[in-house]
Amino acid sequence: MIRNVLLKTSGLGLNYGKFAALSKVNLEVRERTIHSVIGPNGAGKTTLFHCLTGSRNPTTGSVEFAGQDITRLPNHKRIGIGMSRSFQITSLFQNLSVHENLRLAAQGRNMVKAMKFWGAVESLAETIEIADQILERLDLAANADVLAGELSHGQQRILEVGMALAAKPKMLLLDEPTSGMGIEDIPIMTNLIHELGKELTILLIEHNMGIVMSISDIVTVMYQGQVLVEGTPAEVKEDERVRIAYLGEVV
Amino acid sequence: MIHRIPIILRGTTIASLVTLILLPLVLPSASLATEVLIFAIAVLGCNLLLGYTGLLSFGQGIFFGLGAYTASLCLIRLGTGLLSSLGIAVIAGGVVAAAVGSLSIRRRGIYFVMLTLAFSQMAYFVASTSKDITGGENGLLDVPRPPLVFFGMQISSLATGSAFYAFVAVIFIVLYVALRRVIHSPFGSTLLAIRENEERALAVGYNTRYFKIMAFAMSGGITALAGALYAISLHFAPLSNIEFVMSEQIVLMTIIGGTGSLYGSLLGAGFMVVAGEALSAIWPRWMLLLGIILIAIVMFMRGGLWGGVEQVMNRFRSRKPQQGQAPPLEVPND
Repeated sequence: MIRNVLLKTSGLGLNYGKFAALSKVNLEVRERTIHSVIGPNGAGKTTLFHCLTGSRNPTTGSVEFAGQDITRLPNHKRIGIGMSRSFQITSLFQNLSVHENLRLAAQGRNMVKAMKFWGAVESLAETIEIADQILERLDLAANADVLAGELSHGQQRILEVGMALAAKPKMLLLDEPTSGMGIEDIPIMTNLIHELGKELTILLIEHNMGIVMSISDIVTVMYQGQVLVEGTPAEVKEDERVRIAYLGEVV
Repeated sequence: MIHRIPIILRGTTIASLVTLILLPLVLPSASLATEVLIFAIAVLGCNLLLGYTGLLSFGQGIFFGLGAYTASLCLIRLGTGLLSSLGIAVIAGGVVAAAVGSLSIRRRGIYFVMLTLAFSQMAYFVASTSKDITGGENGLLDVPRPPLVFFGMQISSLATGSAFYAFVAVIFIVLYVALRRVIHSPFGSTLLAIRENEERALAVGYNTRYFKIMAFAMSGGITALAGALYAISLHFAPLSNIEFVMSEQIVLMTIIGGTGSLYGSLLGAGFMVVAGEALSAIWPRWMLLLGIILIAIVMFMRGGLWGGVEQVMNRFRSRKPQQGQAPPLEVPND
């Protein structure tokens, strides 16, 4: 079964002065797949992520989402079209409760209602329902009233993904969701992403090869700002160029 | 969120109501009590920006001075009534604050603060040079205090100090309740989100610019109301209203009282106004003492006076544990 392309980049590039951090990237992410982007340090993964989320404006090329050109769409407007992101370095509302974090994330979907300054927060019942659902799903219901900053690191990483989920997106862009997580916590995240991949489209930037190979449908390997290889995990594993890229020039 | 706020905090409306009743009884004069309330209103406005949105604005004096001039000019030249003059001042403050805010928030952090400072200086020079309008160095003299008329009915002549105090107290409590609603609304919760982490707020879909400009407009309107009441109270709108020192004082009162606490606004204004009054009677160099007190508060009471009150209350409560319940966490929310 061939699925429709949801996110597409054509000739995407970003230069810092003369240095091309990213060049000629053509990427097609299909609906309801887990598409991973891997590569050694400095391969341009994070730069690519910034260009896709609107944190950086690419120098060349374009980004299309569901057929719409979004190359220069400001990042807060991307929630409205169904794109939602997580951060590599945990970025939560540290002094607010876990529930309030998720509720605020859900509230961001509707700007008109969020501007309502008369009437209690509870009057937006839908945002509270979404927050409750996600708490259940993340297995964080027992910590609903704990301040986000007081969660363990592993739980904060899970909440980080939950924040992106609260926008009810079509597509999740996850930037190294397991970064800094302990070995025993990683399977929780892997399962979560695997489950989400059945309902949503996921673009995953990841360092951890184990996770990528076990849950991805498609893997794109980047090297020196360009796409080196793309294919199923099995294909990528066998590719000689990937091995060289990861091991350095020692052949 | 609401259920996490300790019950005693939910009652800050009652606490401020009690304070409003006690204030004129405790203080030597009604005019001093009025001054406390007027500055408390200005601090409420500043708190909305600093405490709830995380924006340190040194431009609050612009709106305070603007409110004073606008209301005074309405009363002197146009002969409008009391309530409509106050209303016009609020609108003027809101509009100018929205403009100042929308330009200043183009930069963040220290650059934002510097921009508000620059606007503050600009406003001062505009006011001091437009002598025909503002009276320059002399200020606007003989600002009348018309009676309080509501739908054609005269409620009070406001001729006595205590009548005017009662009028300001009613405005204060109405504003207080309204601001509590705003803070617990979806809009208010978004302001907290921006204060906590603007990058994340953008990522979950908030156009943080709109929210900040709205917060500025509200803050400016409230501050202008305080300025207008101040002019009417003194029968005088001096140039010092719009000086940088005014901005500074409002910010200091906010920090001393406790940022992110509405009741703290009353404490901060009360402390500064009363301490200034009391210390100046003892020693002409009282500002020096105030400086020492300020340093002490900033260094040892990070949550300001309200933070101190909270600590004492929590300690008192943890002495008699309630079925092993953990002491409530401090929520920076009213």
